[in-house]
Amino acid sequence: MKNLLEFLQRHHHWFLFVLFEALSMALLFQYNSYQGSVWFSTANAIAGSVYEMNASVESFFTQARINEQLTTRNFYQERQLTQLRRLYQEATQKPVDKELEELEKLSQYKLIPAKVVTSELHKNNNLMTINRGSADGVEPGMGVACGRGVVGVTFLCSDHYTVVIPVLNSTSSRISCTIRNRGYFGVLRWYGEEAGYAYVEDIPRHARFKRGEWVETNGYSSIFPAGVLVGQITEVYNSRDGLSYKLKVRLSTDFGILRDVVVISDKSIAERMRLMQAAKDSLKLNVHE
Amino acid sequence: MSIEFLKRALLFVVFVLAQALVLGRIHLFHCATPLLYVYFVTMFPRNYPKWGVLTWAFVMGLTVDIFSNTPGLAAASLTAIAAIQPYFSELFVPRDSAETLEPSLVNLGPTKYSYYIVSLVTMYCLLFYTLEMFNFNNMMEWLMCVVGSILITLALIYTFEIAKSKA
Repeated sequence: MKNLLEFLQRHHHWFLFVLFEALSMALLFQYNSYQGSVWFSTANAIAGSVYEMNASVESFFTQARINEQLTTRNFYQERQLTQLRRLYQEATQKPVDKELEELEKLSQYKLIPAKVVTSELHKNNNLMTINRGSADGVEPGMGVACGRGVVGVTFLCSDHYTVVIPVLNSTSSRISCTIRNRGYFGVLRWYGEEAGYAYVEDIPRHARFKRGEWVETNGYSSIFPAGVLVGQITEVYNSRDGLSYKLKVRLSTDFGILRDVVVISDKSIAERMRLMQAAKDSLKLNVHE
Repeated sequence: MSIEFLKRALLFVVFVLAQALVLGRIHLFHCATPLLYVYFVTMFPRNYPKWGVLTWAFVMGLTVDIFSNTPGLAAASLTAIAAIQPYFSELFVPRDSAETLEPSLVNLGPTKYSYYIVSLVTMYCLLFYTLEMFNFNNMMEWLMCVVGSILITLALIYTFEIAKSKA
């Protein structure tokens, strides 16, 4: 008996080895009949939760790409919604073919998704850089928008980057806009105070509108298509000369968290600009003669 | 609960997570998968109780199995490696060295350590893939898996050892 115990004592690790191997083998062969072995697979709670955490980390990193797609998508739909809303209103009163044309025009805009690389908020003349350039088809003078509304106008293009003049630029940013469903035109300006608010000037005195109504681009500037959201009217002032209204607008775009934007590339703009240039040139010639 | 034990437990968790989340998903050329957790078993010092090595290895194998849905596979192969690990370290670790000397590149020198680690990793990969396929119908695939995994595992182990020796 003593010998046996001593033998066990000396070689106990071999018994342990045999035990472990037997257990492993049992598992290995039993796994074919799936029942009962769920505990030893990823179906068990701990392994499952570790993988779930991992998946959430992974999804966090893919979110950037998804975000970009959503921005583009959102922009399309925002535009479409505005067009359809207007179309519906027209249809209930007087159907006009012009609106249908407007809707078709959507397809002529090429949207170039871009990411904001740097942006400023606290100066009087803020600038913003995005990671698309002339190699991607961006040209100076194109409109930039995000899923929530208007952002600015492209200014300088290198091959892969573009400097954008955002709405928050007190000297250079002038975007023409209109009050939704009212049709009065104004110019969007910013004077360097709060990043969340801007002003619409030159709204005629006879215009009728309410606080809380929406301001959107009017599509006459040839930079933005009609119906890109600008913001909501919060205050109404008289202009200094008393001839027009000045509206304080809460911008729908949050420049503080802006990451994904789209550059709106309109093929007809280039044509219009060439025409305009040609007209100017010929006028100059006439003057000189 | 000694500090030693806690350190080993932490290392255990790190190896399991690394295998489950990163290394286990690598299938270079459809065959080479780094089986780095075998490194954990080769790190036990001389005179570490044999039952301890066996238990650590078995639990490690089982945990890796749970994460890769191969119950028993890594556990069986890793337990086998744990059973022979003490004898291997006796072969290569000098007898007059400290009790707690860990087999590592610095402690054994490049030649002896290479003998030690290459033989253990080779044996592990052989066992692992033999058990996994359980037949030799597809000798070529088996061989590719074994050789590929040995190479990539050793590359990783040497990286860590060299980093450790520089530190």
